[in-house]
Amino acid sequence: MSTAANTMFEGGRAAPAVASTTGELFDRELILKYMAAGAFWLVFAPTIGAIVSIKFNYYDFLGHVSWLTWGRLRPVHVMGVVFGGFSTAVIGLTYFIVPRLCGVPMYKPRWGHHIFWMWNIALIVGFVSLMLGYNSGIEAGEFPIWVSIPVEIVLCMLSIQVVVTIKRRTEPRIYVSLWYMSSAYIWTAMNYAFGHFILPFYMPGVNNAAMHGLYIHYVVGLWITPAGLAVAYYFLPLAAKRPLYSHKLSLVGFWSLAFFYPFVGTHHYIYSPIPYWTQTIAIVASMMLIIPVWTVIQNFYGTFVGGWKNFQDSYPAKFIVIGALYYLLGCFQGSTEALREMQRLTHFTDFVIGHSHLTVFGTFVIWATAGMYWVTPRLARRELYSKNLAQWHYWLTVAGFSVMAGDLTLQGMLQGTMLQAGTDFVESMVAMKPYWIIRSLAGITMDVGAALGFWNLYMTIQHGKAIPVPAGAPADYLPEPKWS
Amino acid sequence: MSDKDTHSESISRYEPSGIEERHGIIPLWLAIVYAVMFVWMVWYTIAFWTDKG
Repeated sequence: MSTAANTMFEGGRAAPAVASTTGELFDRELILKYMAAGAFWLVFAPTIGAIVSIKFNYYDFLGHVSWLTWGRLRPVHVMGVVFGGFSTAVIGLTYFIVPRLCGVPMYKPRWGHHIFWMWNIALIVGFVSLMLGYNSGIEAGEFPIWVSIPVEIVLCMLSIQVVVTIKRRTEPRIYVSLWYMSSAYIWTAMNYAFGHFILPFYMPGVNNAAMHGLYIHYVVGLWITPAGLAVAYYFLPLAAKRPLYSHKLSLVGFWSLAFFYPFVGTHHYIYSPIPYWTQTIAIVASMMLIIPVWTVIQNFYGTFVGGWKNFQDSYPAKFIVIGALYYLLGCFQGSTEALREMQRLTHFTDFVIGHSHLTVFGTFVIWATAGMYWVTPRLARRELYSKNLAQWHYWLTVAGFSVMAGDLTLQGMLQGTMLQAGTDFVESMVAMKPYWIIRSLAGITMDVGAALGFWNLYMTIQHGKAIPVPAGAPADYLPEPKWS
Repeated sequence: MSDKDTHSESISRYEPSGIEERHGIIPLWLAIVYAVMFVWMVWYTIAFWTDKG
């Protein structure tokens, strides 16, 4: 690690026992770097989202500068949340979770540092490129090719690291987080190549639309979902201080997701020229996702039964539990939304945007946040800088996000009903104005919460009260912070 | 307690993470959901394979 980076994490005073990484199972400084970068992107990308949402209320807001127009900023928001905030945090957590579950250090540990710089520089170049108008035209795959190449290299390197580390493990059994984690990287290395190197160049017309439906849902279902579940499954029993409810359920959840999700994507194109039977398969697969989702929910809440005291005393536990609630709501919404009758009502309305926020942010970003709260004080060996800031982070997120998700869902239903009743499209837009204002205010509330929370984590690394390390403690000793 | 109950309550521990996991069960209500969804899947796929149905 560079001297500059070391200085960054040691803060103004001597860091307590942030020792050399030699002999440790995982690289604490590397993971903390990822947490800091993930925190930055998790403030940056939602803030862009809030700016974009204001454009619905004031159509010429920042509209006179080409690189701040809606069409340029919206992909920065989406790609920023998915690949910037969520993915950066998850990659960092991968370097913690995988060695801890395998009992061996990560394969090629130095790659983690190379990946850190390659990944974050690619993101910066990607967002600048999007704002300059370079866009591949594939939703959720908008990065131009000069960004996609390093991103693909990173995904391949991570896949190799995770798989080889699992192969070298000393722990005989493979915990469910490793199934999800390894699958997420392998699936995404393939899907990213498909979405960025094949789809924009070699598939014209309706086929492109159908395949794009698959690509975008593979981003959600074969990256965000399994990576988020890997994180949640890892930290859930630790945060609850209880055994995981059921190994059997985790098997059912994983394999049903792996079986049904690949067919889901075409539900974006119901009532389109795509063959009717492919639409039907997509609808069926979407509904069948009720199985993995309800299975995960039973496993999560079953784990917490009898351990709710730990929920009150732990911010990671709070974020996991509220994320699980949003997961249940968001995925049920997504499954039923695929039905033809629901599509007729909700397509081209903000109901869809409500669903995507409930799942991507409400569930998976919140679970990644839980992981960040769990590891940051332990790896920095410092108490949380401020419990008040953590409380504000949690409650502003819950309040802002609940209002936003409810608002978008309601306005989507309302607009859909108006359009079905024959209301003019422009009139239906005018009727949406109050809802858009509420959405912006709710989004700003969430952003303020996120900024406070991630500032808190950064200050924990820099200036949190040192937790004494017992004499003779192993190099990878993890202290227990006091949450309350 | 039967062998089956003992098996479902058995706990595995993963080192060095310290994570513990019950072998666990599939609750009856969830097994019913699986069955209902499976029946619905077969019916819907056949009924809506084409738009002629």
